[in-house]
Amino acid sequence: MKFLCRDCDTAMKFKDVTRPEQGSVTAVFECPDCFTEIAMFLNPWETQMLKSLDLQLGGTNEAAQPMQMVRSQLETAKSDSVSNVAASETDASETAEGGKCPFTSVISEAFEEKPEPEPTGPVWTAAALERLERIPSFVRPMAKMGIESFAKENGHPEITGEVMDAARGNFPAQF
Amino acid sequence: MKSYKELPNDAGSNIIGQVTAQANRLQKRLVSVKHTVAIVSGKGGVGKSALTANLATALTLNGNTVGGVDADINGPTLAKMMGVRNAELAYTPTGVNPAITTLGTKLISMDLLLAADDAPVLWNAHTQKDAFTWRSTMEVGALREFIADTEWGTLDYLLLDLPPGTDRLPNVVELIPNLGGVIIVTIPSEVSQLIVKKSVTMAQLLNVPIIGVVENMASYVCQHCGKEESLFSTEESPETAFQQVVLGKIPFDPRLARCSDNGTPYVAEYSDSLASKALMQVAQKIQRFFDKL
Repeated sequence: MKFLCRDCDTAMKFKDVTRPEQGSVTAVFECPDCFTEIAMFLNPWETQMLKSLDLQLGGTNEAAQPMQMVRSQLETAKSDSVSNVAASETDASETAEGGKCPFTSVISEAFEEKPEPEPTGPVWTAAALERLERIPSFVRPMAKMGIESFAKENGHPEITGEVMDAARGNFPAQF
Repeated sequence: MKSYKELPNDAGSNIIGQVTAQANRLQKRLVSVKHTVAIVSGKGGVGKSALTANLATALTLNGNTVGGVDADINGPTLAKMMGVRNAELAYTPTGVNPAITTLGTKLISMDLLLAADDAPVLWNAHTQKDAFTWRSTMEVGALREFIADTEWGTLDYLLLDLPPGTDRLPNVVELIPNLGGVIIVTIPSEVSQLIVKKSVTMAQLLNVPIIGVVENMASYVCQHCGKEESLFSTEESPETAFQQVVLGKIPFDPRLARCSDNGTPYVAEYSDSLASKALMQVAQKIQRFFDKL
């Protein structure tokens, strides 16, 4: 993909990329002559396609980590699926927290969603929350997000068992 | 106004450079692998994985260094069949150390990364809805990383156990343009032959050398009286149906299924069985195929 500043007839250059928000990434390009900026918005499909190809907008100078795509993108990975035999040689901060492996946070940073603002969406009833807890842990976050998204889209201020039933068709997990 | 071709690059992302780097990484890893062999079949349930596990063991027993890639990303079974499901993959700066069987065969499989027995492969995404547009790309990416980022060391053979479907081989050839050859697995049923013929055609279209066809479950040997009976009723022999070299006809042996469930190497445990002898012969024919090159 290339961008041309029509006024200057000059190739625009990559300037910046944001983390995904609601699955959409924004990339900013700038004309090196007149400094005009344009923003390109990727829809969630396009964002996901880039992730699946393990490609980075704006390029990367980082050396690829072994199995970086699988280790950073596999939602159902076990937390200790790959141990770090060279842990002593790495920065402790890399292994301190988060992610499914010591490098997950570094690798997937560019594609991680921005932290969500305080929830303003539908409220879970106690019964619905109890039912949510029965969903296998490795798909629970995805199921929760799917149900909340369904409730928002369909104007349900409260998530009840009935709303969960109605949302069931939206994602693969059964609950 | 300038055209696409007149602009010098893709605004700085260097997508072609990133893709090239991925391909180079894979090729660099394969430099130390002498022969890559894909085990394929258009048809599911013909025993590709059990055959792969036992051929890997047979080749290892013959003194070769052997690695296996479970290319069935969504239905990985090789780790169980080869008795390494509990292996912990270890990361090094240059790759991931594979699981290693008691006989020394190396293996990488998605099964070694999944959280639980009932955990399917789900990829991180804003939503799983309409995921068909990218899921298969993720799977090819995972396969690329499995081959490129596993610390195989020096291998005589790298066997790839592909999931069913004639569409899978092109993905592998895209990743490994100089694929050493394919072994096509069938069973003696007309249904299987109908689909597996498509795999033969696909391999020919892709100019991938066909090492030969293996007819699995070719017969059943009664463990009480020793009489050999047909399991299926197809009239056409694999030689006639596929017009390819038939590497072997493997009789059905319930002990092979038990070994697969237990993760024990059948060809080593029951080396005197008819099926083991047939499997060992297939392994020898594979070696001869590459020796002649």
